[in-house]
Amino acid sequence: MPQSPYSRRELLRGGVLLGGALLASPLLAACSGDAGSSPTGPSRRGGTLRAALVGTGANENLNPFTGATVLDFVRARAVHGTLGVIDPDAPEDVRYGVLAGIDVDDDRSRYSLRVRGDARFTDGSPVTARDVLYSLKFVVRSTPSYAGYTADFDLDAARVDGQKTLVVPTKRPVSDGHLMLCQGIVFVFKDGTRRFTPDTPSCGAFRIEEFDPGEGTLLRRNDDYVGGTGGPYLDAVELRSIVADDARANALRGGQVDFVHDLAPAHARTVEADDQFTVVESRPPDVSGLGVLLNMSRPPFDDVRVRQACKLALDRKAILNTALLGRGIVGNDLFAPGYPDSPTAIPQRPHDPDRASRLLRAAGASGAKVTLTTAPESAGLVRTCTQIAEQLSALGLPVTIDERPAGGLYADYDAYARLQMAATYSTAMPPLQYYEVSRAGKNPFSLGWSRSDVDRRISHTRTLTGQRRHQASTAVHRVLWEEDNVLLPVFKPVLNGQVANLRGVADGLFLQFPSFVEASLQ
Amino acid sequence: MIWRRLLLTRLAGMVATLAVLSVVIFAGTELLPGDAVSAVAGQHASPAQRAEVRTQLGLDRPAPQRYLEWIGGALHGDLGPSYTGGRPVTDVITERLGNSVLLALAVYLLLIPLSLTLGTIAGLGSASGRRGRRADRVILVATVSMLGVPEFLTGGLLLAVFAVWLGWLPAVSIAPIGGSVLDDPQALLLPVASLLVVSLGAATRLVRAGVANVAGSPYLEAARLAGVRGPKLVLRHVLPAALGPATQVISIGLGTIVGGAVVVETLFDYPGIGNELQSAVAGRDVPLVQGIALTLAAVTLVALLLGDIVARALDPATGGRP
Repeated sequence: MPQSPYSRRELLRGGVLLGGALLASPLLAACSGDAGSSPTGPSRRGGTLRAALVGTGANENLNPFTGATVLDFVRARAVHGTLGVIDPDAPEDVRYGVLAGIDVDDDRSRYSLRVRGDARFTDGSPVTARDVLYSLKFVVRSTPSYAGYTADFDLDAARVDGQKTLVVPTKRPVSDGHLMLCQGIVFVFKDGTRRFTPDTPSCGAFRIEEFDPGEGTLLRRNDDYVGGTGGPYLDAVELRSIVADDARANALRGGQVDFVHDLAPAHARTVEADDQFTVVESRPPDVSGLGVLLNMSRPPFDDVRVRQACKLALDRKAILNTALLGRGIVGNDLFAPGYPDSPTAIPQRPHDPDRASRLLRAAGASGAKVTLTTAPESAGLVRTCTQIAEQLSALGLPVTIDERPAGGLYADYDAYARLQMAATYSTAMPPLQYYEVSRAGKNPFSLGWSRSDVDRRISHTRTLTGQRRHQASTAVHRVLWEEDNVLLPVFKPVLNGQVANLRGVADGLFLQFPSFVEASLQ
Repeated sequence: MIWRRLLLTRLAGMVATLAVLSVVIFAGTELLPGDAVSAVAGQHASPAQRAEVRTQLGLDRPAPQRYLEWIGGALHGDLGPSYTGGRPVTDVITERLGNSVLLALAVYLLLIPLSLTLGTIAGLGSASGRRGRRADRVILVATVSMLGVPEFLTGGLLLAVFAVWLGWLPAVSIAPIGGSVLDDPQALLLPVASLLVVSLGAATRLVRAGVANVAGSPYLEAARLAGVRGPKLVLRHVLPAALGPATQVISIGLGTIVGGAVVVETLFDYPGIGNELQSAVAGRDVPLVQGIALTLAAVTLVALLLGDIVARALDPATGGRP
């Protein structure tokens, strides 16, 4: 199982994903943004946007890390702001929020985070380096899930240099630390913040006007906000928690809300059939991979030829059309498409059942009975597994599906690591970091994948920059593509439904947790 | 004295049942797929971090000990804090239960007169001429249909027609921020209608059965021969005899409403206890799941007890004696 810095609960609740935006990629051709379907012209100021997202019930509170639903993160992003988000159009692949920039020492032993001079909290006090350090520690302390964001940094040795500069030593030389620090959930809190109330000072694009646990939050524009590219345009945003995706779709179609987050493909189809609405798909890297891990410590998958046969046997387009109704992109058995380090030079694996059959026979595995364990942990996951099972069975590898209830796949982590074939889904995180977090060091959740040489190459690649990094990343990903145990035939986007006169949500980047900072009602 | 003994016996039975149910609920949540430690600590937690979270949650102690602490707290109205939000579970339940009670009251407000009217027409019709029997058959077919359609389908159909297609009613029951569901009564209509359809079938058939029993009885014939006719006959001679069993049925029908509320509240995103239970299960919030399940069990048992007592009090055969 690929691990993520999110708990299973969070993922189950809202399909929570990490990530930012993307670099130009052939994959993008398969995706649509909202530019083509939204009204044009200058963004209009004013109006109240009513948005529905997956939240929790009456035990909701304003600490984003205790509830950890999509709604919690969206509200926190709107209210508290972030260090930055990943932006392919920005010079360092990052659009900074509270930060003016990050300087990296030549030997990559220290990162200097420079805070914007004009950034202020809602109580009028300036945002300082001390606040940023407090925020980083707060995020890490909140739950072990978030430790991955600063795993490369020695926060205890960090030093505040004047009011606006934070110098953080690295634990090892890495050149891509800013990609993790600017993942869009590193929110900025005032030093010493422990309790979160509507009056807690914040520095995001909106401030909380009213909070009614389990019912909704009314946000009002923060006119002193400095992190946008023109926004915020909206006067106010109403955030509503609607957990069931059909209820969210109905609320949009019934005119009760203007924006709904994370529609199921079938609902997206219904919504966009009406001219009053549009559906905006997130693009790589804001996508979630759905697939299967083959346990390399158990036959027949301990033979690389069997693993390759399984990969070649998959008709990925058919899986996409059946499991996701065509909404998504075809995968190439590699995690995290759309990032600067994503290996675009590796060709798309073909559907070659003849070669797959030959490989299976050569390995002496034809007719070997295997069991695939799955559960509805992410929308479309069971259907994807069913398709994979059918195609592998047709190849001559009879697959029995063991479907468990939601939550059942990861109910026992030790048992998961022993499964012969296990469903998996990925979160959006830069691929090299993703490998280190989820697969390196004989991680039991990688089901038998244990290659210290690949671990070292990934670690070394993270120290490189420019063309050398690109080449090294491609080379090591080719090893994974050929030898590892990951079947990742499809990637699922976030499908957001909205009224036709809403624009600019995608301009705020990071659609997993839309910020609404650039949104406007035309 | 007899009433007192009956009440004490029934109360003791209710407490015993609730005690057994509390064990079942606790054991059931222990067996739920998903590990609370994993849900709270996250997938990246090291064994040491997981152990720390386990200790924080009190899960390092034996299950019997945790059960006793939980049930002991429950007896004092303290169901512990929620895992996800940290709020006291009792507070969350109190807040949401009020909305669900409101929904149930609105359903009963319509269910009782409707089931009594339809059940009486059908019951009397079954023992009368061809026209009456036709009315009985129509009502029987309609109620069987209501019984056969699950609440998610009924709710979905009502929603598709009245909210999406006609646009007359709101699709989800969202209250104004800072307000209550009563601030927008329209938002109650579809959830109430869905639950009403689900429960009306059973309630009507039970009233009909009670009325049909009375309809052919000698004492009703005697009343007729004495010149009692029309509404007077129904109100003074038919309904009193039919009300007893009907009351019990309506209290049993609470089970249908409670069960249906979980589905209907989720479908319409109504801020009630059923919707909260669904959220708690999805979030592996074990204390909240346990607390809600125990509360629903207690509410159902109390309703059954009340129904039983009222039915006995209304039963003319006993003259109001237990």
